[in-house]
Amino acid sequence: MNTTAIIAAIAVLGGLGIVFGALISVTDKVFAVQVDERVAKVRENVAGANCGACGYPGCDAFSEAVVKGEAPVTGCTPGGAKSAEALAGIMGVVSESMEPSVARIRCQGGCGISVDRYEYTGIKSCAHAASLAGGPKVCPSACYGLGDCQKVCQFDAISFENGLCVIDPEKCTACGMCVAQCPNSLIKLLPKAASVTVRCRNTQPPKVAMPVCTYSCIACKRCEKACEYDAIHVNNFLAEIDPAKCTRCEACVAVCPKKCITVSA
Amino acid sequence: MRKLTFRGGVHPLHDIHEGKEKTRAGAIRPFVAQVVSIPMDMHIGAPSKPIVKAGDRVLMGQLIAEPVGGIGIPVHASVSGTVKAVAEKPMMKRAASMCVDIENDGLDEWTQLAPLGDVEKADPAQIIPAIKAAGICGMGGACFPTHVKLSPPSDKKVDTIILNGAECETFLTADYRLMLEQPERIVNGLRAAMRAMGVSRGLIGIEDNKMEAVEAVKKAAAGREGVEVLVLKTKYPQGGEKQLIQVLTGREVPSGGLPADAGVVVLNVGTAAAIADAVTEGKPLISRVTTVTGCVKEPANLLLRIGTSVQDAVEACGGYTEEAGKIFFGGSMTGSCVPNDTVSVTKANNGIVVFGVKDAVVADETPCIRCGRCVDACPISLNPMAMKQAWKLNKLDDMESKQHVMDCIVCGACSYICPAHQQLTPVFKTAKDIITARRAKK
Repeated sequence: MNTTAIIAAIAVLGGLGIVFGALISVTDKVFAVQVDERVAKVRENVAGANCGACGYPGCDAFSEAVVKGEAPVTGCTPGGAKSAEALAGIMGVVSESMEPSVARIRCQGGCGISVDRYEYTGIKSCAHAASLAGGPKVCPSACYGLGDCQKVCQFDAISFENGLCVIDPEKCTACGMCVAQCPNSLIKLLPKAASVTVRCRNTQPPKVAMPVCTYSCIACKRCEKACEYDAIHVNNFLAEIDPAKCTRCEACVAVCPKKCITVSA
Repeated sequence: MRKLTFRGGVHPLHDIHEGKEKTRAGAIRPFVAQVVSIPMDMHIGAPSKPIVKAGDRVLMGQLIAEPVGGIGIPVHASVSGTVKAVAEKPMMKRAASMCVDIENDGLDEWTQLAPLGDVEKADPAQIIPAIKAAGICGMGGACFPTHVKLSPPSDKKVDTIILNGAECETFLTADYRLMLEQPERIVNGLRAAMRAMGVSRGLIGIEDNKMEAVEAVKKAAAGREGVEVLVLKTKYPQGGEKQLIQVLTGREVPSGGLPADAGVVVLNVGTAAAIADAVTEGKPLISRVTTVTGCVKEPANLLLRIGTSVQDAVEACGGYTEEAGKIFFGGSMTGSCVPNDTVSVTKANNGIVVFGVKDAVVADETPCIRCGRCVDACPISLNPMAMKQAWKLNKLDDMESKQHVMDCIVCGACSYICPAHQQLTPVFKTAKDIITARRAKK
């Protein structure tokens, strides 16, 4: 056996390893990129879902933007108040109070509740259904239950019950991705505390709105009269609650004849 | 001689002659409904503004709605009678359409018409305004205002007008009967459009399953300046605008471009006939030939007034033979299903095809087996299976920039050919809608 050949090979390769290793450590020092250590800290304190709700392409880009001062410390909605506080601490700024929000679906018209216009047999996409002859429901602002919102939710917060979108407030981080997906703009980010909501978006005149759904708002204004705090108003044949004025007394819920005002968790 | 055709495509219902046999021999029969309901948003562009109110008496061809915006067109009364209502009704669009309902008095009294006279002698500068005043839009299905099509931006030099007589869509024979029975109107309309645009070349493309129509149009075109009739291979979508241009002129419409970018304007033969009427007689577009076929007692090619309800049109053909499962506006490849039979026939309606409940079943999707048939069938060389995959993964940006879904012509060839019954075309249509809305927002 030729032992010299083996020793020579080990020596040459080992030598090369030492030379290149030295070269790498020198280059690493000479060409080192200065990274703001705050970026890494910020990155640790955001939600890390890469959801894009902040408007930046991913959490890394958002972290850099925060350190540069381009993005607000409250920008990470999934991270919520906790993340905002941590980021404010790192950046040395005072964070504005960040009220936790949640996405709420403003429709109760599931299968057999909102009247069908036609039997939809097409692809599972609300956008497609909505483009066909005014949508599969007679109500122009009904939930079609085909899951465009569910498709974009990264937190598994959206499910469907009887053809109606249900958002789990515990899982929802208010990233807002689902809001833009709904062809009928039924999902809105509302303060988590605002539990009393009008769950209807039908702005048709009462005579038209009445038969289209069990839970359609018919602009009877009973809620408006029942409210002692001037928090609910009927505009454009639809009741709307101002969450800032609402005290959650639930007087409107009790008088609504169509049960379209509900108390959510 | 090698038949003129394009790459890709399919042969839907080839074994039953594209489903056209039932109505092929039926001469165009006029039918006038008792009540018409004319939508204001038949064309692409802003809906027209009604200028009549309930109780008014209107004459046939009288202006009932004025155009709104740059690509708007006027709407005319299609019968003489009394306006019953001007109200919003759910039609085929996303939002409810404003409709003018007119009760027919049966007198068919025409309003005062202002013809330009013979198409070869009329002042070319007057032709496009006359087309606009007649409320003409593309009658092949898209309903794009014709006067806009005929006045492209000055930097685009148009040297050819193509008349689309391919009628590659299944079941429809409306264009065929029109070409067979009234070829002079079609050739006159083409000449009027050519003179209006100052174009010297006019081509009429007809598929080879309609040789009688080819003969008739050839006879009518004999001796007319610059007009040529060409025979195309029977294949779907031969009548697609981009396919037709490529086949007849060898030019390709650039991605995202219009036919005018290739120096061509394409008109449907029905539109040409309407142009001829507008120029020679001053008549606005108030009726059109529509094929009513499928599960109806006497399938026919009807000359319908705009605004006739599907119900009335089917009644005129003896009614349904069985319970309707699906009713298509247009053929079975590109047509859209109507929500119920009270919707109105518009200027773009070339067919009403009734499917029975048995035939209207949507097959269950099974997994894609990557056979690549959709790729072979795509007339514009896209990759439908990759696009569907991207849609499933919610990668709309990839669909737009890498797979060029915006170039999809939504012909339905991929969905038709798919052995796994994957719903491909509706996915691409929806993706296009979403991307268009996104671009408009930016």
